[in-house]
Amino acid sequence: MQTFFIVLGVVLLIVVFMYNSLISKTNQVENIFAGLDAVLKKRYDLIPNLIASVKEYMVHERETLEKITALRTQALQTNLHSHEKIALDKELSSMLGGLMVAVENYPTLKANENFLHLQGTLHEIEEQISAARRAYNQSVTDYNNAIEMFPSNVIAGFMKLRRKEVFNIPSQERQNVDVKNLFQK
Amino acid sequence: MKKRESIVDYYYESMYPELKVLEQDRLIIVSKLKKAAFFLFGLAIIIYLLLHYHFYMMPFEALALSGMSTFMLFMFIYRHESAGYSMLFKDHVIEKIIHFLDPSLMYHKHRYLLENVYQKSELFLEQYDRYSGSDLVEGFIEGVGVQFCDLHVEKKYRTKNGKEEWKDIFSGLFFVADFNKHFQTNVVVLPDHAERILGVVCSWLQSMNIGRGKLIKLDDALFEKYFVVYGEDLIESRYILTHSLMEKIVQLRQKSGKNLYLSFVDSKIYIAIEYNKALFEPILWKSLLKFSYIKEYVELLSMMIGIVKHFKLDEKLWSKR
Repeated sequence: MQTFFIVLGVVLLIVVFMYNSLISKTNQVENIFAGLDAVLKKRYDLIPNLIASVKEYMVHERETLEKITALRTQALQTNLHSHEKIALDKELSSMLGGLMVAVENYPTLKANENFLHLQGTLHEIEEQISAARRAYNQSVTDYNNAIEMFPSNVIAGFMKLRRKEVFNIPSQERQNVDVKNLFQK
Repeated sequence: MKKRESIVDYYYESMYPELKVLEQDRLIIVSKLKKAAFFLFGLAIIIYLLLHYHFYMMPFEALALSGMSTFMLFMFIYRHESAGYSMLFKDHVIEKIIHFLDPSLMYHKHRYLLENVYQKSELFLEQYDRYSGSDLVEGFIEGVGVQFCDLHVEKKYRTKNGKEEWKDIFSGLFFVADFNKHFQTNVVVLPDHAERILGVVCSWLQSMNIGRGKLIKLDDALFEKYFVVYGEDLIESRYILTHSLMEKIVQLRQKSGKNLYLSFVDSKIYIAIEYNKALFEPILWKSLLKFSYIKEYVELLSMMIGIVKHFKLDEKLWSKR
């Protein structure tokens, strides 16, 4: 009888440990997502200024600028789910990347001090977003591993925890960032 | 950084005439030391015979005592004779190489980094009893404030039989420079000895490291193989350790072939490269008139001065300009 209670006690301890570990991983993902959300918001706040300073120069990119504005409005809605935010961020990153490449065709814009400042700030925010994405991916990987590996997957099943989506890190973020090149063109 | 060919030219054109004079000094010292060694060898034999036949000591004990006493005497003579040469070597070789690589840098052969710089780096948390160093190089490289020196930090301890001994906490090159990004929290990168031996099993043990921040798992397999990272903020640690920087840290580790410790504290980067010898001291037995010997010092100093360009510390982010 005594052995039975000891075994039961050990099993209960393991269950409590796994439960707490899953809760801590879930919270970690949420915390990091909140951090990511904060830097994404910094970028959304920068977009109106950026659009305002480039639109009079970049007459041929009107469509892109309108799309960026629309994406920003969409992203600022409060009721978005995390995977929708991830999808919007991906689209917006690619649009902004395209816009920065298009800047090359506008020499007067490249000489504009205000634009250069905005471009520099944007680049800095992009670096912060990249770091937050990587931290988020790592926490989601830890979480996904925990909910799929035995025996914690059993507890995760009872807790109705679902697999979370990771960000696809764009290939250009894996390349060396050439800041000098960015500013001295 | 200037090309190797021009370093060879510089060596033969600017350093060689002075080194020829210094080489004469070296040869005189070597000759004196050879004579001393010969004399001390004879003395060791006499001491041995005396101890063994006159004082009836066991052969092994007599040999050890005579050998030890004459060896200590030789080391005393060696230090006395080579001290002046070592200073001249630093003036004519080390300082010249530094000024060739970057004329704006200052070299102080007797000075070293202040203790508070070492403490602020948070690289070595162990209490220490002796802090010493030499060969401080400081100045601005591409506008980035830089300091590095040869550093030796030790701890006193007692052996089982009560003998007092000194243990190295760190011995090697210590580098500090302004980092190109602003950050609020600290990140420490340490050599990962355990992971290479135990694999992923050790990550749990690493996460238990008291005194350090959270264990940061990074998305670069090679970097993770060499290093273990502790930080206070999961996002900011990755903001500092970008893919590009991790790649460059791995390159520096492979290039130096030594244990590398890095930390990012108060918008500064601290790098400690572990060497178990005095790095800027001359080797008396090697001729100064051979470039291959001088080349070792050139390569070491180039590597240190090149860290700014290698890590692109001069390419500051907007808010740090």
